[in-house]
This record gives sequence, structure tokens and C-alpha cells, in this order.
Amino acid sequence: MSILVLLLAVFFLPLFPASVVFNRLAAASDHLAARVALFVIWPQIGVVLILWGDLAVGPGVIAAWAVLSAILYAFRMLTVREVGRWSAMLASSAWPLAWLYALQAPTAPSLVAFTLALTAAPVLILVVRAALASRLEAAYTGLHGGLARDLPRLSGLIVVTTLAAMALPLFPGFFALLAVLSGATLWVAIGILLTWLLWSWAGARLLEGTVFGPRSGPVAPDLSAFAAWWAALLIGLIVAAGLVWTGGAL
Amino acid sequence: MIELQWLIPLLPFVAALLVHLLSGRLGQRVARLSVGLNLVVLILAAYQLFHYIAADSGPQWVALTGGWGSLQIDPLSAIMALVVSGISLVVHIYSVRYMVEEPGYGRFFMLLDLMTGSILLMVMAGDLITLLVAWHLIGVMLYFLLGHNTEPPRTQRYAFWTFIAYRLGDLPLVLAAVILFQTYGVLDFPTLFERIAATPDARTFLDLPVTGAVAFLVALAAFAKSAQFPLHTWLPYTMEGPTPVSALMHAGVVNAGGIIINRFAPVFVHSGEVLHLLFVVGLLTALIGSVLMLTQNDIKKALGYSTMGQMGFMVMEAGAGAFALAIFHLIAHGLFKGTLFLNAGNVINAARRHDGVPNDPLYDFLVERKSAPASLPWLMIAAITLIVPLAILVIVHAWVAPGFFQQQGAIVLLFFGWVAGVQVLFSAYRLDTENPLRMMALIILSFAVIVVGYVMVGHTFEAFLYPDAAFRAALYSAAGIHELTFNMLVVLLAVLMVLGWLGAYFTRVRRQPVDDGRGGVWLSMYSLFSRELYVADIYERGTARLLDLSKRLNVWLRWS
Repeated sequence: MSILVLLLAVFFLPLFPASVVFNRLAAASDHLAARVALFVIWPQIGVVLILWGDLAVGPGVIAAWAVLSAILYAFRMLTVREVGRWSAMLASSAWPLAWLYALQAPTAPSLVAFTLALTAAPVLILVVRAALASRLEAAYTGLHGGLARDLPRLSGLIVVTTLAAMALPLFPGFFALLAVLSGATLWVAIGILLTWLLWSWAGARLLEGTVFGPRSGPVAPDLSAFAAWWAALLIGLIVAAGLVWTGGAL
Repeated sequence: MIELQWLIPLLPFVAALLVHLLSGRLGQRVARLSVGLNLVVLILAAYQLFHYIAADSGPQWVALTGGWGSLQIDPLSAIMALVVSGISLVVHIYSVRYMVEEPGYGRFFMLLDLMTGSILLMVMAGDLITLLVAWHLIGVMLYFLLGHNTEPPRTQRYAFWTFIAYRLGDLPLVLAAVILFQTYGVLDFPTLFERIAATPDARTFLDLPVTGAVAFLVALAAFAKSAQFPLHTWLPYTMEGPTPVSALMHAGVVNAGGIIINRFAPVFVHSGEVLHLLFVVGLLTALIGSVLMLTQNDIKKALGYSTMGQMGFMVMEAGAGAFALAIFHLIAHGLFKGTLFLNAGNVINAARRHDGVPNDPLYDFLVERKSAPASLPWLMIAAITLIVPLAILVIVHAWVAPGFFQQQGAIVLLFFGWVAGVQVLFSAYRLDTENPLRMMALIILSFAVIVVGYVMVGHTFEAFLYPDAAFRAALYSAAGIHELTFNMLVVLLAVLMVLGWLGAYFTRVRRQPVDDGRGGVWLSMYSLFSRELYVADIYERGTARLLDLSKRLNVWLRWS
């Protein structure tokens, strides 16, 4: 029974190859609200299943599987150009870390919060994707670069969300990674750090293909000041929530 | 007092926020706000240092909350806060006019403030997580500062190189922090270092010693941030960024490696092997950086490789056990290299008016009616050149710190001091001058003054930074190797140096043509160095392969 529950959880806190299901679902809808709902609810179902199941059945196998899944998707993010898919792959790379955290037997609220911390960045990237698609008809990196010159507010939003995707301080992902590393073994820790490095590389490529470089593409309106303030408030709340949760991370 | 010190790292962040919010309203006047707040930071940092010395109450530590977010006020943090805030203020003032015609004027000052705040937080961090936060932020801020001009692809390319190199330096420090926390169960530095001193033999993953593993990881982090070979390729190419950023980076940011090594000195004192690694990597970096510097024809790139060489010396000094000297070196280097960068534009302008190439002696003799340059007997000069610097160094050290000679690290430092002194005299001998004796005497006098000043200040500085004499001795002792091996190495290196100088002398005297049968070898070597040992090319090739593999995987897995 326990193994069946865990196998089911593999689809919701996706580990490769079960993660293909989530990525197909994420690509199926263009609606922002539907995608955000999927990104927020889907992994929490996995969390519930993990808490219900028994991870003691094979912790070594689970840890190895989770680390390899995280690295695989982080590596694949390097050459993904469609921002929506990029976001789904970021989630597919980040959520396996929740398995590693679960192996350290945290409390249920901690595991839920940990998963939410890793979900924040992919959701923010979805918002960026919607903003890009509505202005430039497509959200592809390298297609319409150099946005920093004409769309400074949108560029600012892209930069900040990409920093969140790279799990840099003070975003929740940074503290979530420190939390899972604090209980990791050497090989698991090296796997997590490699994943982290690949996120940074992929994030830098995303910035190079959107914000930086010579301006190309159609003339498009920037974010309104009102929208920019709302985005700043949302990101500020996410950072504050992360700091409150991880007041003493590690 | 200590609560006031929170203002030192926090005020630059406040300045960044105000600059961002007010740049639309104030326009270019927003720079004055940034400069003003940084001046306050400098005054606070100066007050902090003088208060620390005057109060003589020892290191202090204070936390915002129970978990992380703390500052440590000790000699290292107090002196580095003053240096960083001073250099940052100069760069701010310089940028007010220098950047005035560049787009994104307000953004530049915001980033400069964020960078200053991050460096100050790093040098003053009192616990592992605060240190990690600052350590990560420095790389991010540098990335955006170097890529300030967002459009040229070259700028973005080299900013990316820097960012990735810095990320490579971030992660070993994270792993070091994890090992320390898992082993000792605390985050704050005072308690952590107490526990390390109490149980230095603790073991970690794979039954490795904790101190050795942590020291190795901290060293890796320092290598990436301080451009040690082969993680140096980003440094010379950062010249694509604005000149004030180059100055700030070469005077401050790149020194992060030396600071972090000193911060973890209580770990390194138990890790002799890692100190030897520091020495070897530093030496290799110093050599390669200096050689590559000589092959550059771009002044800023040459300065970049010069910084690489200096960083190599700094790491090497730490590897010899002279931790305080590494800090002294990085401060001195920061000040003179910052000055050079900020003055690079003037040098380039002057070179456009006058190329600076000296006249041919025959031209001087016939047209300018100057007397022909005289030369002294080479044997006499060789004796003076080899012996006088050694005598000055030994006498001065014997006068200031007689016990210093008992440490191997001290001998290493004296050796390099001797090499530098001989090199200066040797170069002077090669100069064409009417009165070589007078020039030689002036150089010897200058060298003696510099050595006296440097040694006195250096030893006082060492006593300030590491007041515990036993700890200083333990650092030198940890860096030591077997005596016979050490003596043989010193003799071997001295012989190699002298042979090198003799070779250079005879090459000059005989004025051999380049194509003497060995021309092909020299040309190959020049090609190798002018292509910067192909290190960047290897990285580029590797990167392209990885990206190709990623693309193939995505196609094979249908992008899901």
C-alpha cells in the first residue's frame, strides 16, 4: 500500500519520467490562472501523499532518484526557449528536492511551506510569461531581446523573478535550499549544489535572451506603474513570508 | 555603539532604495544623495575602527534575531569596513561626472550602493548565513554592474563569465557552511570557532577531518572570487564594464578571497595541507598572471592580469601562514590599483599626444646633443644587485622582529622581497642613464625606506589583526614543511632566479637576433601566452558541448 502511495506521489511531486505528465499538463493550457492553480495545487497533492506514505521503504533509492531528476531538468532548462516550458521545467527540477527534505522527517507544515517556497519562483515566471506573451505575441527567449531599453519596468520584473528562479538571497528558494542541505549527505549535497548552479546558468541565459542585448522585435507598451507596484508588493510579500518561515533556516 | 554599526552595511541598501525611488524626480542630482550617504558610511566606519582601538574591549558580536542576521566587530571587519567604504566613496565621487552621459545613471548608482552594502555585509558578517547571503549578493551585483550597458553582446558575455565564476565560488562556501553546521550545530562565528578550537579533530563525510574539508572548500570559494588559476578567465575581460566598476572590482570585490580566508583562519590553522595548496595555487597564479600581463597591449587588460598576479601573491602569502600580510597586501593593492584604473583614461589621452617611446641613443647623441649613456662594470653591479636587497631585508627584520626568522613563512616572504629588490635594481641597470651610480644609490635608498616602512607597518598591522602571538605562530607552523625539503626548495629557486637574470643580462649584452634557431620556440610561446593559454577557449568549447547535449536531450524527450 505504502509503495503504491509513493508511486502515485511520484506523479505529483514529479520525478522523471513521471514528471512528463506534469510538463504536458502545464503546456496544455494557455490560461494564466489555470496554470498558476496547477503549479500551486499539484505538488501539494504530492506532499499529502508523501505524508500518508512511508518513506522508509527505500530512502536511498528515493534520494538518488530525486537528485537525478532535479539535475536532469535543471540541465534541460539551459536550452528551453519558451518561457512557459522553462517555468514548468524549473518546477520539475525544484520539486524533487521536497522528497529529499521529506526524508529528513520534517513536520507537515514545514514540508508544505518548503514546497511552497520552491513553487514561488515558477509561478512568478508564469506571470512574466503572460506579460511577455500579451505584449510580444510570444514568450520566447532570444526572439525579442534587449527589452531593458524600451520596457524598463517589465525588464525589472523579469530580472527579479529570474533571481528568484536562481534561488538567490533573499528569495524563499535560497532558504529552502539551505534547509534541505543542512540535513543532506555528501553526494546528495553535491547533487543539490549542481542543480543550483545549473539554475543560475539557465537564469542568466534567460536574461540574455530577453532583457539584455540589442533591441529587436515589435514596439510594445511597458508595464503600467500600477502593475509594477502590484508586482513589487507581491514579490515583497513572498520574500517576507520566506524570511518569516525561515527565520532561522538551517 | 554596536547597534550604530548596523548602519554601516544597511545605509548603502537604504541609499539604493532611495536612489531607485527618487531618480525620476531628482534626475541626475540623485547621485549626490548616494555620495552623501556613502560619506556617512565612511565616517561611521572610521569611528568604528577608532572606537574599537580606543575601547580595547575585544571583538563584539550582535544579532538581529535568534537565528541569523548578525555582525561581528573585530579587527578584520573594522579595518576592512573602513577600506571598502573609503574606496566605494572615491568610486562614487568619480562616477558622478564619469557616468553622466551614460544611460541608466540612477540605476548605476543604485547598483553601486547595493554592491557596497553587500561587500560591507560580507566583511562584517557574524554568522554563516549572513555571510552566505552577502557572498551570493556580491556576485549578483557585480553581474549587473558589469552589464550596466545592456546592449553590446560582448558586455553581456563577459558579465556572464564573471557571474558563473562567482557562482562556482558560492557553492563550495555553502557546502563548507553545511559541514560546519552539521558538525558543530551553531551558526555564529564566536561559538563556532570556540567549538572548532575545542574539538579540531572532528570528522565529517567519508571520515574526512572537518577542518581540512572546510578549509579546502573555503579555499575553492576564494580561488573563484579572487581569480586564481584556472578560474581566472573572467577577470581580464571585465574591462568591458564601466571604468568605475573596474576600479571598484579590482580594488575591493576581487579581494573577497583573501578576506574569507582570514575570516576562517581558526579553521586553516588546523589544515596545513590546505595551506600548502593555497601556496602552490597562489604561486602558479602569480606567475601566469604576470607573464600574461607582459603580453597585453591593452592597458586595462594588462591591469587586469596584473590584478590576477597580485591576487596570486595574496593567496600565496596566506599559504605561507602570513594571513595578516595578505590583508595588508590586498589593502595596499586595492588602493594603488583603484588609482591606476581611475587614471587609465588620462594615461590613454596622454599616450595619444605623446607615444612615450624613448629616442634611440644615437639620435640623442647626434641631434639632442646629450652625452652617451654610461654603464658600470657588470660584476660589481651584479654583486650589489644580489647582496644589497638581501642585507637590507635581513637587517630591517632583525631590528623590528628578531623572532620572525624562525618561521619558514617568513623566509618565503623574505625570499620574495629579495627577488623584488633585485629585480628593481636589475631593471635600473638596464636603463640608459648618464649617471648610473647616482640612480643605483637612489634606488637602494628608496628600497631601504620602503622596506623599513613596510616591515614596521606590516608587523604592527599583524599584531593588531591577530593579537594572540601563539595563534600567529600556530599559523606559520601549520604552513611549514619538512626543513630539508624547504631549504632545498629555497636554494633551487634562488639558483633558478640568478640563472634567469644572468640569461636576461647576456641576451641584452649580445643583442642576439630573434631568429637564432630558437625563434620558433619563442614564437610558439608568445602565441600560447597571447592566446592566454587557451583556457577561455577550452571553457567555451566545453560550454558549447554541454548546450548541445541539453538541446539533444530536450528534442529526444519532446520538451516535456
